Order: sequence, then C-alpha cells, then structure tokens
Amino acid sequence: MSSSTKTTALLRPLDRFWLCEAIRLREARGEPLEDRAANRLARASGGDLQQRILQRALSLAERDGQLAALQHYRHGAGLALLLLALLALLSGAGLAFAALGDGVRPVNVFWALGSLLGLNLLMLALTGASLLLGDGNGLLTRLWRWLSDLLARDVQAAQLAPALMLLLQRQRLNRWVFLLLSNGLWLLALLSALAMLLLLMSTRRYGFVWETTLLGSNSFIGLIQALGALPALLGFSQPDAQMIRASGELALNDPAARQVWASWLLGVFIIFGVLPRLLLAVFSLWACRRGLKRLALDLSLPDYQLLRHELLPDSEYLGIVSAAPELPSLLPSGHSLEQSDGALLVAIELDDQRQWPPALPKGVADAGNLDTREQRQHLLDQLSRFPPARLLIACDPRRSPDRGSLALIAELARSATATRIWLLPAAPGEALDADRLADWHLALKQLQLPFAESACLNWLETGHD
Amino acid sequence: MTKALRLAVVGHTNVGKTSLLRTLLRDVDFGEVSHRASTTRHVEGARLSVDGVALLELYDTPGLEDAIALLDYMERLERPGERLDGPARTSRFLESSEARQRFEQEAKVLRQLLHSDAGLYLIDAREPVLAKYKDELAVLSGCGKPLLPVLNFVSAGHEKEQAWRDALARLGLHALVCFDTVVPPQDGERRLYESLALLLEKSRPSLQRLIDDHAAQAEARLQSARQLIAELLIDCAACRQQVVAEPAAERAAIEQLHQAVRQREQRCVESLLRLYAFRKDDALTTSLPLLDGRWSDDLFNPETLRQLGIKLGGGMAAGAATGAGVDLLVGGLSLGAATLLGALAGGGVQTARSYGKRLLGKFKGQHELSIDDNILRLLAVRQLQLLQALGQRGHAAMHKLQLPAAEASLWSDSKLPAALRKSRAHPEWSALNPRSPASSPERQAQIAALAEKLRGES
Repeated sequence: MSSSTKTTALLRPLDRFWLCEAIRLREARGEPLEDRAANRLARASGGDLQQRILQRALSLAERDGQLAALQHYRHGAGLALLLLALLALLSGAGLAFAALGDGVRPVNVFWALGSLLGLNLLMLALTGASLLLGDGNGLLTRLWRWLSDLLARDVQAAQLAPALMLLLQRQRLNRWVFLLLSNGLWLLALLSALAMLLLLMSTRRYGFVWETTLLGSNSFIGLIQALGALPALLGFSQPDAQMIRASGELALNDPAARQVWASWLLGVFIIFGVLPRLLLAVFSLWACRRGLKRLALDLSLPDYQLLRHELLPDSEYLGIVSAAPELPSLLPSGHSLEQSDGALLVAIELDDQRQWPPALPKGVADAGNLDTREQRQHLLDQLSRFPPARLLIACDPRRSPDRGSLALIAELARSATATRIWLLPAAPGEALDADRLADWHLALKQLQLPFAESACLNWLETGHD
Repeated sequence: MTKALRLAVVGHTNVGKTSLLRTLLRDVDFGEVSHRASTTRHVEGARLSVDGVALLELYDTPGLEDAIALLDYMERLERPGERLDGPARTSRFLESSEARQRFEQEAKVLRQLLHSDAGLYLIDAREPVLAKYKDELAVLSGCGKPLLPVLNFVSAGHEKEQAWRDALARLGLHALVCFDTVVPPQDGERRLYESLALLLEKSRPSLQRLIDDHAAQAEARLQSARQLIAELLIDCAACRQQVVAEPAAERAAIEQLHQAVRQREQRCVESLLRLYAFRKDDALTTSLPLLDGRWSDDLFNPETLRQLGIKLGGGMAAGAATGAGVDLLVGGLSLGAATLLGALAGGGVQTARSYGKRLLGKFKGQHELSIDDNILRLLAVRQLQLLQALGQRGHAAMHKLQLPAAEASLWSDSKLPAALRKSRAHPEWSALNPRSPASSPERQAQIAALAEKLRGES
C-alpha cells in the first residue's frame, strides 16, 4: 500500500488526466466496471467533481493495471527519447563531418552550408506547411495510432495511447508537443553539429573556396555578404569583396582569411540554423507548459455527467428523523339505540358544483352538507337528542378518506340505528380515480359500514331494499 | 459556514408531499409514494448540496388528517380568561398527553415545522377549499413559521386555483407557487425557490446559489444528452458490414444488423434515463419505448416511417423496410480505384487499408450493408422526443412515459447533417463494427459537431 501511494504521489497532473481519459474510453466501449469501491474512495476524498473523477479513475487504474502500464509507457517513452537524442547527437556530429570533410581538400562554402542547413530548413518548411494547411494532425495521428497498435499488446494498455491523443488534442496540446519534440531534437542535432564544427575548426586547418561555372562572381559576393549581414551585427566577421573574389580562385593560405571564413560560416549556421530552432523549441515549451497547466476534464462529456450522480450527489438522504406512530384504529362501537326514529340524509364535504340535496321522498330529512366544525358539532348534538333509525351518509370519493372524515363517519354512525354510506358517482363527463375509490372501500370495510355507489333512497324511506 | 436552510413539507394527507420531495431532489427513490392516504407516517429528510456544501434540508412529514378535531382540542387547552398566541398554544399542545396518543401524527408535523425555518404547505388544487383545510392552516400557522403554499396537480385541468388564492389571501398568505410534481413547469423550481427567498431574506444567497447550480446542471445534462444521441447516430451511420452476395446470408446479416441497431438504441435510452436520474427499469419494463405504445412498432417497419411523416421514395421504401440499403459499389472498380489512389496519395494508411478491404470484397462478390438514411432520421427523432419527455418529467411521475405523436420533420427534405455524411466513409468510427479501434479525436469532433446541430433541431 505504501509503495502504491508513493507511486500515485509521484504522478504528474498529465498522468492523472491521461489515466482518467483511458478509463473513460474503456467505459465508453460499454465495458461496465465494478466501481463501487472507487466511487466510495472518491466521495470520501472530497473536492470538486473533477478531483473526484480523477481520484476514481486513479483507483480504478491502480486496480486494473493501467497505472503499471502507464509507468511502462513512461519508461518506454523515456528510453525512446534517449535513443532519439543519441541519434540526433550522432547525426549532428556526422553533419559537421560531412560538411567540412577531412581537411585535405578545401571546403566549398556553399556545399558546407547546404549540407549543414539544407535538410533542417527543408524540414522546417514542411512542418510549417503541414501545420498551416490542413489541421496538421492527420499524419501525426496515423503515425501515433500505428505506433500504439504496435505497442499495445495487452488489454489494459490498449486505451492508453488513444487516450493520450484525445487528451492532448482537446487542449490543442498535441501540436505543441510535436513541435517541442521535433524542434528539441533538431536543436540537439544542430548543437552537436556546432560543437563538432568548433572542434574540427580548432584542431584542423581548412581552406575555404567557392566554385561556379554558370554564375558570375558578383552575384556570389552579394549572396555571401547578404547572408553574413545578420551574423555580422552580432560580431561574426564578414569577408570583404576582395577576399571573396580571391577565394573564388583557390583556397587562401592566409590564416586571417581562414578565420574570417570560419567565423562567417559559424555565424550563418548559428543565426539561420540553431537560432530558429532554439526560439521555436523555447516557444513550444512555453506553450506546452501553459497548456498543461490548463489541462481540465471536459465535464460536459456524457460519461462524466453520468458519474456526477455517483461522485458528487446533489441530494443526500438524511434518513427517518421520527418514526411512524402507532395510531389507535377507528372502530364503530355499534351499541344499539333504544329510541330511534325517522330517516336522515347527510353529506360530508361536497363541493359547490354538485346539486345538493337530491329530490327526497317524504319522511326523509336532509341534514345538509357538513363542512365546518360548528356544523359537525351541531348535527352531532341533534343526533344525540333525536337519533334517527336510518342514516345515509353521502361522501364524495374524490376526497381522500382521511382519519378526520372517517372519525366523523364513525361518530355519526354511532348515533343512528342503521347507517349506510353513499359514495357519490362522478359528475357527467368525469371519471373517478379507481385507486382512491378502492381506498374508500377498504376504509369503510374497516369501519364495518355498508356502502353503495347508488342512492339507497328506497332503503332510507322504507327500511328495506 | 452558514447552516443549511431547513424546510418542512406539510399538508393534508395524500396531496403529494413525498412526490414534491422526489421532484425537488431529482430522486425517484425517496420515500414511498402511493395513491393511499397517509402513506408516509414518519418524518424523513434529505439534503440538497452544491459542490459539497449543504444548502437546503427538506423534510417530508405525515399528512394532517384530523385538523378539525385538533384545532378543537387546541382551543380547549386554553384556560378560561387566558389568551395564548399561536406558538404558545402549539407548545402547550405538544406537552399534552393527546400529542402522544390521538394526535401523535399531527404532533410530529408540528414539531418538525417548529424545527424548520419555513414550511411548504402543499395543496391539491383539484380540491375545494374545505373547512378542514382552513383549520389545517390555522394549526400550522400556530407554529409561527413562514408558510409558502404550493399548488400541486395544477396541470390536471379542473383546478380551483382562484378559489384557493382567495382563501389563502384571507388567511394572510399572499405568496403562492404553482408546482405540479408530476409535470413540473420549466421554471417551477426556480419560482419556488425565489418565492422562498422573499419569505426568508437571509437565505436568499444560498437559494440563489441553488437556483444557479440547478440551471447550470440542467444545461450540462442537456448537452450531454445531445452528445449521447449524436454518438448513437454516428455509430449507426458509420456502421457497415460485408456480406456474401447470397440471399440467405444477406437476410441473416440484415437481421443481425437490426438487432445491433436496436440494442445500440436501447443503450442510448438507458444512458439518457440514467443521465436524467430516472430508473433504468422505468423504461425497460413499464415505459419501454420499443415495447409499448407506438414504440412497439418495429424500428424498420415502413409503416412507422410513414407515420413519422418521413417521405419515402419508391425504391427507398424497400431499403427502409429491410432497414439497410445494400450498397453494391456499382462500378466499384473505377470509383474504388480512384478513392484508393486518392487515399494513397493522402498518405492515409488506415483509409487505404479499409478501402482496400472493401475493394477486395467487391472482387470476391461481397455486398456491403449499411444503415439507411431514413433509419438515422427516425433514430434522431425518437431520441430527441425521448429527451424532451425526460426534460419535462418529474421524478415523482409514476405513469408510463407518454411520448407525443411524432411530427418528424427532421432533415426529411434535406440532406443529413455533414457529420453523418462524413461518418459514412469512416467505418472505424462505429462501435457497431467489429474490431473498431477506440474512440478517435476525429470521431469525437464529429460527435461534438452533430450534438451542436441537434441543439438547433430540438
């Protein structure tokens, strides 16, 4: 555990984003991951959504071996970089050798310059063109994919290469990384060539000539002086016209002239070869640094939005604060009344859209529509004094059968010899909620009261159906 | 750090208190909801946070069932010659023995309201203003906490909103919010919190933060949903299969393709449901688009296409009916060779390889199966409709997802969006194709472009 925390602590931000992207790609392929432990860890670690997603990805990657694969990648990349740097150093040195030759024959300044700068400038132009035209990614992407296909032999690592590509592309970092890499390597090669040039020129004697068959010498003088103008500003020496003309005939044996030519050659090489690469490398390094600092997850991606619910829940259950009470159940105490007479119709909590009361047969009294406490109290008082033989209670099944209404019904029923409930039908064109009607049936069954959905006015009048 | 605002959701039994919590919390699993009265008999809470900071605590309470008797009892607690104010009367009631017996459920509600900063008084707008509701309000206002009436079931049609407004105004409650828990209005949540902020001036910053965060999240959800749909469409558009040119093999391949597309669509539906925090089985068993209602129509049935108003050309009808146009690479030799040359010149090894394979297939007498344009249109319309329905659905909704009758005008008289046309040529972008590599930046870019296009359509 301690070693693993050490390795995770060593991870740079780029690695964490990289792993996160790799995990996202794995999940996007419809591969469900067992992530409960990772989610728990991420929730416990706190922070904003991005931090939690990164933490989750890290624990998943650690568990499934992507972290190890990433370390391999990094080692491999380091090794490859070392090899490339070595290659750059060697080829730089070789460039210098090839340009100056063995010192037996005089050095043709244009051939030397061409071999030192030509390939470099050509590649620079090509890179520039490919970045300006097109999106500049096509070739590179394909190369990368080919490489990653070659490298990704195991399942764990399969998503790592595309993940890095996607991650870098999102911040437009890929082109800066590519520019840093190519310019850095070229810079290394050119510096190695420069060192080799200095070494060779310090330890060997070179004569410098220029040769032409077609062109006149004046154009050469102009060209050489134009090339040397910029280096001359920085203190490199510039051959004068006479020296140039003399060098056109044969290599000068004058040590001063050799020094001037060597200084000119170095100046042109540094200004037009090393300096541009140096500037580009520094600039792309700066751009890379800036991009890396701004590296962030694209939280609008569906995969991350889906994680939000798990990792940063907006709502959190607080549990039951106060448990359900045991309530006394309502039961009509069906005591028989000794003196009861007459029939009564009463309604409970009807709304004003209903025509009430209906046409009543003779001998049936109407107790109206009960709503307020006073009305209830008044009727209960009356019933206790003059209990009816038959009581019909009309209810609107659109109301909910709450405890208050049921208690009222039970109390009314206690003050009559026989009680029936009339569950009123819905108004024309409307339908009753079947669920709520079933609730009424259940509640009335518990009260042991007979109910019907039609008016039992006949029963109310005569006492039998 | 400031303490989270505490709200008690109170009201008569069976008016949808638990439903309101579910909708506000976007949590389909909170509490228990049923048509039965007094389903919730305990007090249950949940907390809303933004970036890990708790802002709001909501408490679900049992319904008040016997307010008339309770108010009667509370008034009788006043001794002769005594004049108690609301809170004093409430606390005397809570100390009485009936608060632990007959009125225990009501006592829980009042205790919770006393512990809260404010109460949301939920009203079933279909109900007339009965005396028992007025008594309820009298009991509740006895707690001395601000009450915000919330009208539920306002979308049911026969609501008595004005009657309630008048009745509440007589009781001194002038602020009122309409919030249907099943079909919450687009800005209902914002209006609810803003009205609360008027009652609780001190909590305005945290309520505003909640409003802002929820709006930002709704936008992010919508964007993600469009990306999910775009991904589905790209997967289907880029899908292609090589098949030997024999009737039996072709039929089998087409059948296989049907299955693959339907499974892929189902995956998209499930992801959308998860994104909108609905249950996965909300769609699978009860409101599965592919199984019930109009969605049970086969995806590749030309009748479905006709219903959706997508015009089918005579020749195309057959293609739509089979669900895949058979791209025969007519004159494939010259066309393919040119493409091959172009691809090679472009230096695209990958492209050359896939085109090469297709050419080889042509020589071997194979056909190429891809998914018809109209199927893509249909998929897009269906998913956008589902998305719209999910956006309007409250988390208390128990009914099946009812999708409106399709009026598909999506890209029907014009070409498919560029992203889809482009992905036709990139089999490697489709997750439906075997051995497709992991997601590439180009695919991601096309998904983003298509999602942006879908924003304009929805």
